[in-house]
Amino acid sequence: MEQEIKIVAEVDKEDIAVCRFTVDRPVYAGRVDFARSGGAKGVPLAEKLFEIEDITQVSMFGPVVVVSKLADRSWREIGKQVGAAIREYLKSGMGPTEERFQASLAEPAAMRKKIQELFDAQINPGVATHGGWVELIDVKDNNVYLRMGGGCQGCGMADVTLKQGIEALIREKVPEVWQVLDVTDHAGGTNPYYEPAK
Amino acid sequence: MPRVLLLFPTTTYRAEAFLRAATRLGAEITVATEEDTALTGLNPHRLLTLDFDDPAGAVRRVAGFAREYPIDAVVPVDEQSAVVAAALAAALSLRQNSLQSTLAAGNKYRMREILRRGGIRTPSYQLFSVDDNPEFLAGEVKYPCVVKPLILSGSRGVIRADTEEDFVRAFRRLAAILCAPDVAKCGAAARQILVEDFIAGKEVAAEGLLSGGKLHVLAIFDKPDPLDGPFFEETIYVTPSRLAPTAQAEISSCVAAAAKALGLTEGPLHAELRVSEAGPWIIEVAARSIGGRCSRALRFDGGASLEEVILRHALGMEIQSIQREQEAAGVMMIPIPKGGILKEINGVVEAKNVVGIEEVSITAHKGQELVPLPEGSRYLGFIFARGATSESVEVALRRAHCHLDFVIEAEVTKARWHDVGLVGPPCRM
Repeated sequence: MEQEIKIVAEVDKEDIAVCRFTVDRPVYAGRVDFARSGGAKGVPLAEKLFEIEDITQVSMFGPVVVVSKLADRSWREIGKQVGAAIREYLKSGMGPTEERFQASLAEPAAMRKKIQELFDAQINPGVATHGGWVELIDVKDNNVYLRMGGGCQGCGMADVTLKQGIEALIREKVPEVWQVLDVTDHAGGTNPYYEPAK
Repeated sequence: MPRVLLLFPTTTYRAEAFLRAATRLGAEITVATEEDTALTGLNPHRLLTLDFDDPAGAVRRVAGFAREYPIDAVVPVDEQSAVVAAALAAALSLRQNSLQSTLAAGNKYRMREILRRGGIRTPSYQLFSVDDNPEFLAGEVKYPCVVKPLILSGSRGVIRADTEEDFVRAFRRLAAILCAPDVAKCGAAARQILVEDFIAGKEVAAEGLLSGGKLHVLAIFDKPDPLDGPFFEETIYVTPSRLAPTAQAEISSCVAAAAKALGLTEGPLHAELRVSEAGPWIIEVAARSIGGRCSRALRFDGGASLEEVILRHALGMEIQSIQREQEAAGVMMIPIPKGGILKEINGVVEAKNVVGIEEVSITAHKGQELVPLPEGSRYLGFIFARGATSESVEVALRRAHCHLDFVIEAEVTKARWHDVGLVGPPCRM
């Protein structure tokens, strides 16, 4: 008998227009991001999700589907439609096979080595000019966990350095990465390079 | 995918909010700052450095960049970057305010002149040089008055004077602020002082979005703490306003007329007004959105942030609704109670646990030198609340603030720099 598909939905605490759906099995082998304006580019689940009115953006990686919405409809309502679309997609057998999914997972030690080399050769020499450093904390399920220190910790431009610099470089050099997650306690920074003032 | 060029001063509180919104819209992002960020050289199509004091130079730099990476929108976050954005947009044929209008809105004297000529209710004013002798001027001024710089924001350098003695002290204090290195570099406008009538009444702020010259008022914020001087420390903003609907309509009309007089036609607008028995008076209209992290108090139908609304407008994307959410919302900019070094921050957990509080964000860090108004330009942090009514939001903000305890130790060597007049506040040159 086919096992029930379990999905946990979690609205983003920082942005209530974004909801993360974590499924108990792989949804996508690798990572893809779509905006409604750019279309679903032939990816069946993204096509299905964009059939739901108000959905503006879809990201998929491994067992996770992140959806952004517009308009006043609640996640309670839209979430049911998203859940139904994911279930329908998986039940129809369009999801990745376990074998294909496993093949998409990077070997953590190899990924860690590549990223550490990137940190050592480019990122840390760059942020050192502002008295900062970036430490690779872990690589798990194709997700990279890092911590910023020194001038980067609590810096007003830390998000710019992270998103436009570090994350962009990681995605360029190690495209199999799903997410780059900053675990820094920025509030604990005592010597930020740029102090916000306006 | 469309590409947006975000102009961030390196001191902005707003980077995260704009990056998040632009990412959500699926835009390619390039960030331009006035100083190098840590990885600028490694990502030349994502990170640019532009001289915000030199719009013409910025245009040359970006025109070359845009040939390789076409730009669909330029979005500034403060008055200075608004001027650069206007110059860039004109060169790239993008939707933005005119250069003249942003220059006018960024200089309080020019703004007063244009508003007066346009018949907009605005305080009477006089312009002086920092080199003038305030003792000679004190007899020419009507009291109570407000002494303020032509530039600067967040009430920095704004001082009320009720008597000739007050005026002389205020004038000298402001002149010292204008000599601080981070201000003096702003050029001729930093050598002048505006003195205007103090308008008694309630103060409100209006947040708007201009599109094709039409103003959409997004929110009117009450400022329940009286702003009667001698300094004008911003604290609590709560929306919706509790003023009568007719008063709110007058405020909206007044802001729209001011924007029209200044020639502002596109993008965000932030206005500060006094509401007296005669009606609303424009104190300031800026070609930018609300400062600090205060934009988090605004949320629109569907959960869109103010930054998303601004970006959608700039990119020419559909804006489904600019109706603010049903709930009341508010923010408290946590004032600096005294100068010194921040040693400890206590009570954050208790403040967060107050009913209605959504977030307590402490942006000052331990070891930071704190400079209160009128010399300073920073806050200790921000408290955000939501609730059924504006009253409940205001109560929540005050309760949360009561829980916070900032241990600040006076630093003997740098004490009262403004009285000494030799050493400016901490700034990065």
